[in-house]
Parts: sequence; structure tokens; C-alpha cells
Amino acid sequence: MAFDKMELRDIEVWDGNFAAAQAMRQCQIDVVSAYPITPSTPIVEGYSKFLADNYIEGEFVMVESEHAAMSGCIGASAAGGRVATATSSQGFALMVETLYQASGMRLPIVLNVVNRALAAPLNVNGDHADMYLGRDSGWIQLDAYSPQEAYDLNFIAFRVAEDHDVRLPCMVHQDGFMTSHTAQGVHTMDDDTAYSFVGDFKPMNDMLDLEHPVTHGVQTEEDWHFEHKARQHNDLMTKVPAKIDEAFAAFEKLTGRKYNQVEKYDMDDADVAVVCMGTSVETAREVALEMRAEGIKAGVVGLRVVRPFPFMEIAAALKDVKAIAALDRSSPNGAAGMLFNEIAGALFNTDSKALLSGYVYGLGGRDLTKKHLHDLYKELQANVDAGKVTTPLQQFIGVRGPKLAFL
Amino acid sequence: MSEMKKIKNLKEFSTSADRFEGANLLCPGCAHSIIVREVLNATNDDLILAASTGCLEVCTAVYPYTSWDASWIHIGFENGSTAVAGAEAMYKALKTKGRLKQPDRNPKFVAFGGDGASYDIGFQWISGCMERGHNMMYVVLDNEVYANTGGQRSSSTPIGANATTSPAGRVSYGETKNKKDMVAIMAAHNIPYAAQVAPNKWKDMVKKIQHGMEVDGPVFINAVSPCTTEWKFDPKDTMHLTDLATDSLVFPLYEIIDGHELNITYRPKNVIPVEEYLAAQGRFRHLFKDEYKYLIKEWQERVDANWAYLNRREEARV
Amino acid sequence: MANTGWDEFEIGAMLRTFDGAIEDIPGTLQEDRNYSPNSSFTASVADWRIEKPVFNKDYCIDCQFCWVYCPDISIISRDKKMIGIDMDHCKGCGICVEVCPTNPKSLLMFPEQADEETEIAQWPSKEEKEK
Repeated sequence: MAFDKMELRDIEVWDGNFAAAQAMRQCQIDVVSAYPITPSTPIVEGYSKFLADNYIEGEFVMVESEHAAMSGCIGASAAGGRVATATSSQGFALMVETLYQASGMRLPIVLNVVNRALAAPLNVNGDHADMYLGRDSGWIQLDAYSPQEAYDLNFIAFRVAEDHDVRLPCMVHQDGFMTSHTAQGVHTMDDDTAYSFVGDFKPMNDMLDLEHPVTHGVQTEEDWHFEHKARQHNDLMTKVPAKIDEAFAAFEKLTGRKYNQVEKYDMDDADVAVVCMGTSVETAREVALEMRAEGIKAGVVGLRVVRPFPFMEIAAALKDVKAIAALDRSSPNGAAGMLFNEIAGALFNTDSKALLSGYVYGLGGRDLTKKHLHDLYKELQANVDAGKVTTPLQQFIGVRGPKLAFL
Repeated sequence: MSEMKKIKNLKEFSTSADRFEGANLLCPGCAHSIIVREVLNATNDDLILAASTGCLEVCTAVYPYTSWDASWIHIGFENGSTAVAGAEAMYKALKTKGRLKQPDRNPKFVAFGGDGASYDIGFQWISGCMERGHNMMYVVLDNEVYANTGGQRSSSTPIGANATTSPAGRVSYGETKNKKDMVAIMAAHNIPYAAQVAPNKWKDMVKKIQHGMEVDGPVFINAVSPCTTEWKFDPKDTMHLTDLATDSLVFPLYEIIDGHELNITYRPKNVIPVEEYLAAQGRFRHLFKDEYKYLIKEWQERVDANWAYLNRREEARV
Repeated sequence: MANTGWDEFEIGAMLRTFDGAIEDIPGTLQEDRNYSPNSSFTASVADWRIEKPVFNKDYCIDCQFCWVYCPDISIISRDKKMIGIDMDHCKGCGICVEVCPTNPKSLLMFPEQADEETEIAQWPSKEEKEK
């Protein structure tokens, strides 16, 4: 082997960015084609420092834009090898076109998305605007709430994406600054164990197999397009969830850490529940414990797998809850929030009597405080007590100025 | 490294087994096809190819058919260059790691794009590839217009051309901006080789393509591709139009080594007037009206000045 | 392939040019390659033509201009000799006729339904150049 292994301590103190970079190092990627953008830049910087210090073999192509970054990843992936990159916000928006192309071409690329607000106005802090922008792009999407999870989910991503029965690219999301730049203790795996979880890359339809030339990226008109798009959706709906569960189970066996498509905290007997993503999940869990002490049976549901959306699992987790709050960290700009709509869709046509209200919060890095959540849980309990939603269906939390509430 | 195929004359060249197939959807008489054949037949090396969205891509890879006998990728409009650069990076990575399936073979990485894809929307992507030094070749199929979508102007469209978004009309003579000098811009990246070629001078093209494939590093080739549909001439006259283009010096054939040494590679025995070139194409027909005839004179002056400039550079070795 | 359903093709709309492995593509003549049904080589654009080229080998000097300038790989050349036209792939553009240097030309365009033997039998004779 022409590169050096790194000796890691059992627990390292890493921020989300460095944790992701370490996971990428351990997966022995063949080509990283990348561009810097706050707050994901340290992932790319960390990776290039590993290369400079001989901890990595493989090509690192520092391209001239995020669109070129994903374009290079697509070319490299189609050529036949392990490929990954990282971005945020504006860069993510710039590469959106190529995201659809990558997934349509069924190429297993891993993209670390450090979630950040979208301009205008310009903002470098964390919210989920970029995540929401890519939701229909046909990628598998996982959400990490902490540096530990940013590290762990990268391994899951490579393993699931590269499976020959899946062959779909995968995003690993983490909150910009709140996770990416916050250091916490991360339980590590040693280089060999980590690599063994993802294994050697097994090529499929690779351009560099010179004796079997292949054509990637064809045009399909009205006589073929629908079938190809339908096939992709079918594979996301029917093949991916089982592979994710398999990978989660294998990961638990290896490390003792168990992930689920829908993370449930204190939900068994919950009357009121908050559904959210990212670092807000941990804040909500702390507040839920405090609400319990006050006599309110509070629980938290975190979405771990954003796409394919765990429709049945969300419904199962929430159907017996009396009042649910869907928290969206992105401005829906003229509609109810994404989580609100998707939960509503999952619960409609069931015999659930749950009340559902929505909250928009935390845009541009605005904090979601424990006080905000405390008041929110109180509103949910008031809904339960009244037997109906006592507030407008959509409220903005933490905005200065007159109260913003709609619907 | 395999030796380049030896091609002494056209009879020898004709023993090539094409790796580009017919029954594609290109217009009858399309020069793109002639150029692609000459490029692919210039070598016996394995090829990894890419194309940007455009006539070539759209006509040769419509499901369920492919006209390519080598691995080929299309991603989008801007990024044919970066697609092949990514593949080249993967090749280098797999070579280092000992995972190439055919480790003794050295594929060549070639991307094709139209002038729309290359001069305009994909400009930055090509610049990035040239700057990063990938071992690849980029070939522009230059028909001076967005042909695939019906003939809109690009930054390659020359003055006076009638394009659908720079149409000739009662108060307009068509395109008012001069054609962008893409070869000079790419050569300014100090790449080992940049050149302008034309399909009528097949020997000149093959020599340049072979040289481009032999040098290590990025190569930029601009190929004039007269378009029967958008330049408005009969499909059977494609080679005649190419002759007019090269022999009027509207499309001079030259090469630039390492960004600064220019060699003119074709000097017509008889230089024909630019007016003859313009007269052969429907897209310039309105220039022959009395009020626009001055533009033909300006055309000749521009072509003469450019030729003089190329000759000065060649002499000065800069 | 026309009516296959969403579950009946390779993912990613990927196409393979050949059936099985092919070791040396540029060293294998087209007639010896194992094209898959997805190669356009197996398709035909003959119905595009309104005119077709007819080849008269009596006048041909095997210069290969027609071979190099044919956009549709429809001039078949073997062992440096022009041996015929691929009528499945010829679109009838007429370039081959224009570039043919012989006098009379060895390739001429005729209406699609013309009978080749008849046309060859009444081939035009050498053109005298006007002084």
C-alpha cells in the first residue's frame, strides 16, 4: 500500500466537517472533485491535507465551480470508481442540474451537504434551505444531527449507494456551523474496520472497461423518458429502504450504534410530539424531558432518512399522537412547510386523529432555543386539551417584529 | 506507450475501421460527422469520449441507439469537458491503485462540443480543464451557431450572419459582434497544443490530432464545421464550403505550441475572395443588398488583417 | 425494443454497443464486430433518401475521397479499394459525388427508385472541359 494508515484514539474530538473528512479518508475514495464553500470548506481542506500527508492515494481535483465539481464526480463515477465530494447552499444550488443528471444516470456518488441558507439575502449560517432544494433530485438522503453521525452516516452512504441493486447517489446532510464547526467526542473505527464496512468498490457499467464500451447519458423522448424515470422512482421506493435497514443493522453489529429511518425518542406513550431534523432534534429531546417533568407526555421524532421519505414509518410513529408539530428550517415561500406537508400526506387516509401544526424556524442560523420549544410544547398540549389546533397552522418562531402566523 | 498509427496517404487512411456508426440522426451532409470520423480514425488507441449537449450528442445517443463504438458520456450542456476530465482523473487513480481492468492500455480522453457549448455556456468548464492540466483533448465542432435548437447566435457567430436571435431585418444586418477568438484564449492557458483544423484538409487534421494525442496535457482543437441547415447551402456542397472557408482564409489553419509559438500549417495556392465564401451561404445573402455591401468589404479587411497578424506571430515566434 | 416496460432495461438508460467483450475494436472490421441491437449500426436510415448514389467501378481510381468525406460511413473501402455503398446507412447527401475526381465521375446521384444496372449501362461519357 502506497499510503499511510492513521492511528486514531477510541474517542476523538472532531467537528462535523473533520468527522466527515476522516470518514472519507477511511473509505479510500478514488476521485474527489471539489470546490470550497462555507461552511463545508474544511471537509475539502481536511481531505487535501490528508493527501498532502500521504494518508490518501487517489486523485483530488480542485475544480473551478461546484457545478464542475459534481460534473467531474459524474465523469469519474461513470469511468468506474469510488467518488465523493462536499458542498453547501449556493454551491449546492449551482450543482442542482448535475444532481438530477447523476441520479438519472444511476451513479453511486456520495455528497456531504453542510446545510446552509440560500441567498438572497446572502447568509453563511445553517438552515435547511439547500437540503429542501434537492429533495426531488433522486438522491438517497440521510441527515446527521452530530459529528458522530456525520462520521457514521458516510459509511452507510457508500455501502448503500454502491450496492449493485441500488446504484443511486447519496447525500449526507449536517447542520452548517451547528454540527460542522462544533467539536464533540466521536467514537471512531480503526482504518481497517472502517474500510471493511464499505469494502472494495465493485464497478458496474464502467467506461474504463475498454472491452465493453458503454454509452452513458442518452436522450429519451416521449417514447422512453417516463419508463426510465419510473424505474428510478421504483428503485428508491422499493429497493433502497431495505438496503438502508440492512446497512443500519450491520453497522450496529460492528459498532453498537443503531440508526433508524425514523428516530423516535420517548414516543411510546407520547401525547404531543415535535418532528424535526438536524441539531434541533437534540434540543427538542432535552426540552421533551423537561416537559415530562412538568406532566406533559412529550416525545420527539427525528427524520434520519429524508429520501426515500419513510412514509409508512412516519405514519406509524405519529398516528397515536394527539398533537404534532412539524418544524421546517426553510422558508416555504408561499406554502405550508415540507415536513408539514409530507407528514400530513402520510397521516391522511389513516384513522389517526392527530392534530398537526407547522412551525418555520431557525433561518440563516437563528437559534432555536429551549424556551422556544418549551412554549411550542405548551401550544401542542393546549391543542390536545381543546381537541383542535388552537393556533394558526403555520407560525414563524424567533422572528423580530409582529407575530407571523398563517393558515 | 503505444505508437501512433502511421498514415502516409489517404489510401492507407482508408484502411481504418471506423468507431463512429451511421444511421445516426445528423442531417445529411453534416460536417460534424466527417470531423469525428477523422479524429477517431487518427488513432488505434482506446478512446474515452464525452460530448456536450448539441447536435452531435443529440443525434448519436437517442435511446435505444448509440452510434459510439467507444465508451462515451454525456452529462449536460456545459460539462462535456469536465466529464472527460473526471474520467481521466479516475483513470489516473485506478492506475496508481493497480485496479485498471486492462492495465497495459492507454486510452485517450477526448471531449466534443459545439461552439454554443464551448464558447458560451461551457467556457468556464473548458478553461478549468485546460488550467488543471488534464491529459485530454477538447474538440470544438464550430458551426458558428446553436444549430441543434434552430440556429440562435453564439459568441462564435460572425458579423453579418443571419441567426434567429440576431436576425437580419428591416433595420438590422444580423449579428453585430465579432467572433470570439477561442483558440487564442485557450492557448493563453499555456497548454501544450492548440490548433484550428478543417475537415477538407484531412491530412492536416490527422497530423494535429495525432500530435495532440501524443503530448501530455490538455489540447484544444477548433474544427470548422459548415452546417448545411444553418449556413443554408445544399448538403452535397459541405466539402466545397469547407474549401471556401480555408482557401479564403476565413478559417486559417494553424497551431500554437505551448501557448506562444504559432505555426501556420496551410497556405492556399490561390487565395479566394471572402465574397465568394459569403456568397455561397444563405445566412449571408442579405449582405449582398446595396445598403450592406460595405460589410463585405469590412469582412475582407478583417480576414486580411487576421492573416497578416498570424503571419507576424509566426515570424516572430511568439 | 419498442414496447419494453420500465422493468425491462438496464438502469440509467445505459447502452452497450456490443454483445459481450470485444478486444480490439479499431483492429476489427465492422462486419466482424458483434454489435448489440443498441448500436445504430444495426439500424437503417435508407428511408431518408430521395436520391441515391450509384457507383460505377469502371472509372474509380480508389482515391478514397468518397470514403473520407462521407459523413455516414457509407462508403465501404477494403484493402484500399472502394468496393461499394452501405445502402442502409447512406442518407443520399451527395457529398461523395461532389468530391469524386474522375471524369466521368465514378459516383452519380439518381432518384431512389432508379435501377442501378440500367444507370451504369448508360453512364455519361467523359466531359470535355470548356477552354
